[in-house]
Parts: sequence; structure tokens; C-alpha cells
Amino acid sequence: MRLKRAAAAGGALALLAVMGACSENKGTDTSDDTTRVSTGSIATDPKDSMGPAAEVPGATKGGTFRIIRETKISHMDPQRVYSFAGLMNAPLYSRFLTTFKDDGSGKVTLVGDLAETPGKDVNGDCKVWEFTIKDGVKFEDGRAITSKEIAYGIARSFDPDLTGGPTYLQEWLADTPQYDTKWNFKANKSALPPGLSTPNDRTLKFEFAKPHCDLPFAASLPYTAPLPPDKDTGVNLDNAPFSSGPYKITKNQAGVETVLERNEHWDPKTDPVRHAYPDKIVWNFGPDAEAGANRVIADNGDDQTALAWNGVPSALVARVTGDAALKPRSVQGPTPSLWRLTINTKRVTDLAVRQALNYAIDRSGFIKAYGGEASARAVTTLLPPSTIGYEQYDAYPAGPTGNVDKAKELLAGKTPELVLGISDDSTELATQLKGNLEKAGFKITVKTIPTDAKLDEVGKKDNQWDLYTDQWAADWPSGAAILPVLFDGRTIKAENNSNTSYINDDAINAEFDRVLALPVTEQGKEWAKLDQRIMKELAPAVPLFVENGYYLHGSKVGGIFISSIFGYPSFVNVHVKQ
Amino acid sequence: MSLSGVEKVAPDGAGPVGEPEVTSTERKAFVGRSPGQLAWARLRRDRTAMVSGGVLVLMMVLALAAPLISKLYGVGPNEQFQELLDGNGMPLGYVGGITGDHWFGLEPRLGRDIFIRMVYGMRTSLFIAFAAALVTTTIGVVAGIVAGFLGGIVDTVISWITDVALALPFLIFALAVVPTVALRFYGPREEVPAWFQVTVLIGIFAAFGWTSTARLVRGQVISLREREFVEAARASGAGLGHMLFRQLLPNLWAPILVAFSLAVPQYITGEAALSFLGIGILEPTADFGRMIFQSIPYLQTDPAYVFFPGITIFALVLAFNLFGDALRDALDPKSSR
Repeated sequence: MRLKRAAAAGGALALLAVMGACSENKGTDTSDDTTRVSTGSIATDPKDSMGPAAEVPGATKGGTFRIIRETKISHMDPQRVYSFAGLMNAPLYSRFLTTFKDDGSGKVTLVGDLAETPGKDVNGDCKVWEFTIKDGVKFEDGRAITSKEIAYGIARSFDPDLTGGPTYLQEWLADTPQYDTKWNFKANKSALPPGLSTPNDRTLKFEFAKPHCDLPFAASLPYTAPLPPDKDTGVNLDNAPFSSGPYKITKNQAGVETVLERNEHWDPKTDPVRHAYPDKIVWNFGPDAEAGANRVIADNGDDQTALAWNGVPSALVARVTGDAALKPRSVQGPTPSLWRLTINTKRVTDLAVRQALNYAIDRSGFIKAYGGEASARAVTTLLPPSTIGYEQYDAYPAGPTGNVDKAKELLAGKTPELVLGISDDSTELATQLKGNLEKAGFKITVKTIPTDAKLDEVGKKDNQWDLYTDQWAADWPSGAAILPVLFDGRTIKAENNSNTSYINDDAINAEFDRVLALPVTEQGKEWAKLDQRIMKELAPAVPLFVENGYYLHGSKVGGIFISSIFGYPSFVNVHVKQ
Repeated sequence: MSLSGVEKVAPDGAGPVGEPEVTSTERKAFVGRSPGQLAWARLRRDRTAMVSGGVLVLMMVLALAAPLISKLYGVGPNEQFQELLDGNGMPLGYVGGITGDHWFGLEPRLGRDIFIRMVYGMRTSLFIAFAAALVTTTIGVVAGIVAGFLGGIVDTVISWITDVALALPFLIFALAVVPTVALRFYGPREEVPAWFQVTVLIGIFAAFGWTSTARLVRGQVISLREREFVEAARASGAGLGHMLFRQLLPNLWAPILVAFSLAVPQYITGEAALSFLGIGILEPTADFGRMIFQSIPYLQTDPAYVFFPGITIFALVLAFNLFGDALRDALDPKSSR
């Protein structure tokens, strides 16, 4: 009988809740600005790379800032950091060769972090790069940071045991994707990988076999964090990284909490971006997205100085947008994470079918099924709007809900039978796509793929599906980190492909080579043009939307903005109001 | 309901014996009644039984007539009305988008009609629950009656199998088997049809659910098999089949019916739980468990979405349980309440 009583109580509660919600929903208007333009540049004046960072108005030092997150951060070892939480966390305790000066508005400048400038292209051919290390930068034990420790950090990222981190520098230095076969870190701990050298304590030099004009961007990822060889604890560094940034890790209980406290040896005068206002930063792990958001909404006790890292879950969006009191505590902004409906061009070889898919897509409906306009904004481009040089265009103009008639016209009476692979935690999206596309004359079969296996499965060259959703967030806002990665057919291998459209077009491949060899400042516009050309000539995917970040923080937190680079809350300006 | 079985019960003397209740009108003509008729009379006098029975009949009619209702109502179970949702995918208007066209409102995000999806969901739920209850009861009765009557090595073996089935963790087994079975029968480009998912679920329930009935029936048979009428039948040279199904089974109908009526709600919630865990019935087939699972995050923002499926499955299971209790009282009035 206990079950029945519980059910009765539940029913009564539900009835109360229904009665309480009898207000009319008249719809919403989007609140975030859709007109924002992203610009990016590389600082040429060394003054831009010098500290201290300009004060945040109204910010004071002190207090404890908390972050509530569902799961632990996968890696803290700077050479292994690659998850978004890790990328936003790493700048707190480590410094890199370069970093982005960002205020969340989309206008970013790449500046030197440990380096005095964001790199010098010695011969003007992007093959030899030099970085001069700043004076007065120190580790948490007071030792000065020199080019030797930075080089050691990069060298240890060649260790195949230290998995998980980005691999740009390693591949470029070794000039092969199998970089660990070219140079063995464990056997040569006192040496440096080929192409990397430290002519003196303040100079770090990269020599590449091929031009890599994106190096200043690539050097902003955490694998350029310095480490003295005597502090290298191998895989254990993940639990207790050695600090070079404004905070050091004083407590780390896996999956429970991580505590960061001030590093006295960090000198704000050397740092162009970090402020380090709070005395202490605490990650609390455990509560899921809903619990985290509800705690911050309640705004009690310690949660007043907290941020809900997992954001506002779509089911709670209506409540949060409807509550004017929460407005000053919410942070919203576009992220670079772009979703597309990838078309497997190995199977769907008919261009007309791919174009028909582009006409038929109901982006507005798809976004509603995904979680609404607070979580996503429709795009018709392959590059996200946060890319440097971005240009808006629509190769297949069909309006926000798609043009079924135009699609039918292209199909000319055919009913292509397509198999849609979808991860098993988002079957609503499959239902949405099936309903949408079948109206245009397609016959859609839905196959679910276990969520954790989806990335591997669609990355197999001979996968069995015709359509699948994919998302891509570049590591820096340049088309070079997006288009060649996703659509260069020469990179296709048996497994682990990022080119999941399996498109391979010689003319486009040649264009990639041409644009990649241009100076970084000239590349932006060319990527935008190429984006348009790929969509028009090949239609290898249906661009769907870019994710929107939507976060809530407690009433005593200030200075949080959404990183223009990664689309997650940035902590460099965060401060606690007393 | 399936009371017809009760009415056929032969008055062997071993069936449930009720006090012949004599009212003033009945005194004039003293009529002989079978225990089945008596049980039916008791059931009719029980108001709880009648109300819960009425609810059940109504729901079963709704479920059976789902396509017809859909035609009359003018909305299909997979039809989407996203134009009636706001930009965040929440239904416009009052209480989750309730209008004359959409009686229970719309689902957030996909914008499907909640009423018609519930009618179809009820069909899925009731079909699975009834089929599973029927299969498990049949297996349970046969196993129990054979084990109880034959005893010896047969009893040992069947009891041992029962114990093994009881010891297997149901949920873990279901989680492991359901996805694998679909992979075994369908290729990477073939859709797994809804009927297959339904069959697998029924199979899973059948594999685990028969044990309690088997034990119940076995116990009853052991107490019956030494009775005189069994001795008499044996002395007259009756075969095994006759002994089991003509002599013993008619005396077991009461506990079997009760077990059956209590198994149905158990399978309704069981099926909902499996779909809740994502291994039951998949999108886009309408299903109660998944509907409730999807609605729970909207408790704060669209309570109507949680309310309607929740209250319906609650009413359905409660009605079944109450009816099952009442049925037991009617069939076996001497058992303690």
C-alpha cells in the first residue's frame, strides 16, 4: 500500500502544480543580439601582451567563487587538457605561450601570455617561429619560468601515455600524425623533439617542415604550459598540476571537489588577461544540470557566489526567461559549437538529393525540438558566426521552416530511402527530422547508436548510415581549424575521421592548400568564400545551428562572460561581491 | 472481464464456499447457485470493484479504439504542431497549450498532441501488460500444477528452475538483453519495428514473471492432491492430463484469477519503468513510461505535461489493483482482509 500512498501524494502535488501554472504563455522574443560581428586579430604591439589587465569596473579582491558541475573535469594535467571545462579551468593554474584577450563580445585579440608577443614569423614563410619569454614569470615555488620549461612541457606532450590533449604542435613538429613514432619522449627525456629548440633561456624556437601560419593560435592551447622536469610526476600530474598561473591546486578530491588558492608568486604585471580577484576558487562536483541550476536560482548561502556550470537545462529555460529577477544573474551568448546534419556522400552520391535535404530542413522546428532559441541559433553556413572573417549567406534559401515544395521539385518524384543514425539519448531529434524530411518526400529509417560510441561509429569510413548529426567546435576561431579538418578528402582514413561527410573533391582540396599558405590576416575572407563554395558545389551537410550558452550565477558573482573562443563561461574577470 | 471462467467452476466442494446470502426477496424462491454465481453477486455488491472495473473497461475501450478516436479527434499520434509552440519549444496559451483542438495540450519541443499520444500509449501499455500476464500465468500454472502433482524429481527440477529464475536480477538482465536482441535480428540499416520491441518486452516479462504463479499453484496443488476426489479419480484410472486439467485446475481458478489481475498492473508499471530506462518501446511509438520520463524535467515549467500521463497511469494501475483485491474478496470471502 505504501506505493499507492506515494502515488496519491504525487498526484495531489501534480494537481497543485498544474493549478499554479495557469498563466498564459504568449511566446517570447529572443533576447540575445543577433547582429554581433566577430573580429579577431593578432596583437603586434608588445604592450598589448603586457600586464596588468585593465581593471573590471566594480570588481574587488577576495571571497570564494564556486562552480557547480555534474561530473569531474576529465584532465587537469595541462598537456592533457582538452575538454571545455578543462580548457576554461586550466588558465587558472597555468600559463601558456599565447592567449586570447576576450571580453565575450566576439572581438578577440591574440596576445602573448608567457611570451612577450604572440610569436615572430622569422622568415615570413610560417616555417620558423620564435617566441621571447617574459621577465618575471614564476612557478608556484618561486622559480623563474624559462623557455626550457616550456619546451619540456611541449616535449612531454609527445608521451603516448599522456593521452587526451590536442596534437597540433606534435604533428607539426614531427610532420606526421604518428608523431610518437617519430620521436620517443620516454627515451629522450633530456632532449627536445625535432624542430623545437631553446637558443637561450628567453627564446623558444619552432622549425617546421611545412608552413603553419596558425601557430600563434595553436600555441594558445594548454599544452604549451611550462613544467620543470623535476616536477614531472607523469600520469599523476593530472591530480596535482604544478602551477604557473594565479592559483595553485591545494585540494583535489576526484569527483567531489577541487580547491584552488592564490599562488603568491604570480605577478599581475606580467599577465595581460587574468585578474584573479577571488582568493579561492572551488569546483563542486555532483549535482546534475537541473539540480545545479535550481541551487543557483534559490541563491542560498554559498550558492550566492556560485556558477552553475552545466547551464540552464532546456526544460527550465521557460522559467528562467520568465523571471525578471534572474535576468541580471544570467549570462547568454553564442558558442562556436556548430551542429550540422552530415550527409554521408559515399552513400548519398546524388547532389540533387543533398541539395533537396538542404531545402527541406525545418531549422526552426529542429531548434524547438533541441531545446529552443535560448539554446541554439539557426545557421546556414558551415563556419560558425564566431569565426574570423565570417560572412552570412544561404546557399539554399528556404526560410526558417524549410521549403518542402522546392525539395520535392529537386527530387523530381524520387523518394530516396535514407537511414538516419542518431545517438540513443536524443531520439526526439530523430523523430523531428523524420517528420520534417518525410514531408518532402524522403523515406527516413531511424537507427539509434549508443551515445558514447557515436563519435567512433560515424568516424568509420564504411559506416552504414546516410545521415547523422555532428557538431564541431574549433580550437581557435579561424576557418583553418574548421574547413580543412571537416572537408579535406585527403585526410580520410579507415577510422577516427573528422571528415564524416567523406567528401573528397580535388578542386576544393587544392583551395585548402592555397588558403592555408596565405598570411593569417588574409585568410579570414578566403575561408568564408570557400565555405560558400563547398555548400553550393558539394552540399556535404545541412548546417543546423550554433549552440547558445545560457548560464546562471549567484547574486554575489560578477565578471562572468561566455568565452568567444570556446563558448563556455570564462573565469579571468570573475569577482565576488562583498 | 474474464469472469466467465469462474462461472464454469464445477461445484466440487473444494471451490470457494460462500455463505448463501438470503435476502427477503430471495426467500420466496430458493435458488441453487454455483460458487461462480455467488462470487459474481458479491463482486456486484462491492462498490470499489464496480467503479474500478468501470474505469478499466473505459480505458480498454479507449485503447482498443485508438485509431477510431484518432480519426474522430482529427489528430494523428505523430502529427506535430510546432507552430503552436513558442521559440523555446514550450506550448503557447494556457496550461501547456490546452485548446478545443488539443484537449490535454501539446508536448513541449516536438509539439505532438498529448491526448492522442496517451490513447495510443495506453494501447501499447495494456497490450503488453495483458499479453505478458497471460503468458506468465499460463507458464506458471502449467509448471506449478505439474510440479505440485507429480512431486519427486519433477518437482525438484521445476522448483530449482524457479529458484534460478528468481535469483536472476531482472533489470540487469533486461538492460543487457533488449538492445542485443535487436542487433541480432536487424541489420545496421534496417528499422527495428515496434511489434518487435513489444515482443521482446513480453518475452522478457514472460521469462521472469511466471515464477510467483508457479509457486502459488504448486502450493495449492500439494494441498489438493491428497484430497478424496483426487484419490477417487486416480482409483478410476484417470490419465495424467485428466487429473491435472479436469480435476485439479478447476479448483485453482480463484488464486489464478487473482494472480492474473494483480500481475497486469505490475507489468504496466514494469513496462513503463523499462521504457523510462530507455530499453522499452522507442520513439516514435507512443508509450506511457517514456512519456513520463520525458515530461519530468518540465515539472516546473509545463506541469500539465507531467500531470496528464502521470495521473492516467496512476489511475490505471490503481484501478487494476483495487479490482484485483475486490476480485480476491469475492472469490475467496473467507480469506482475511
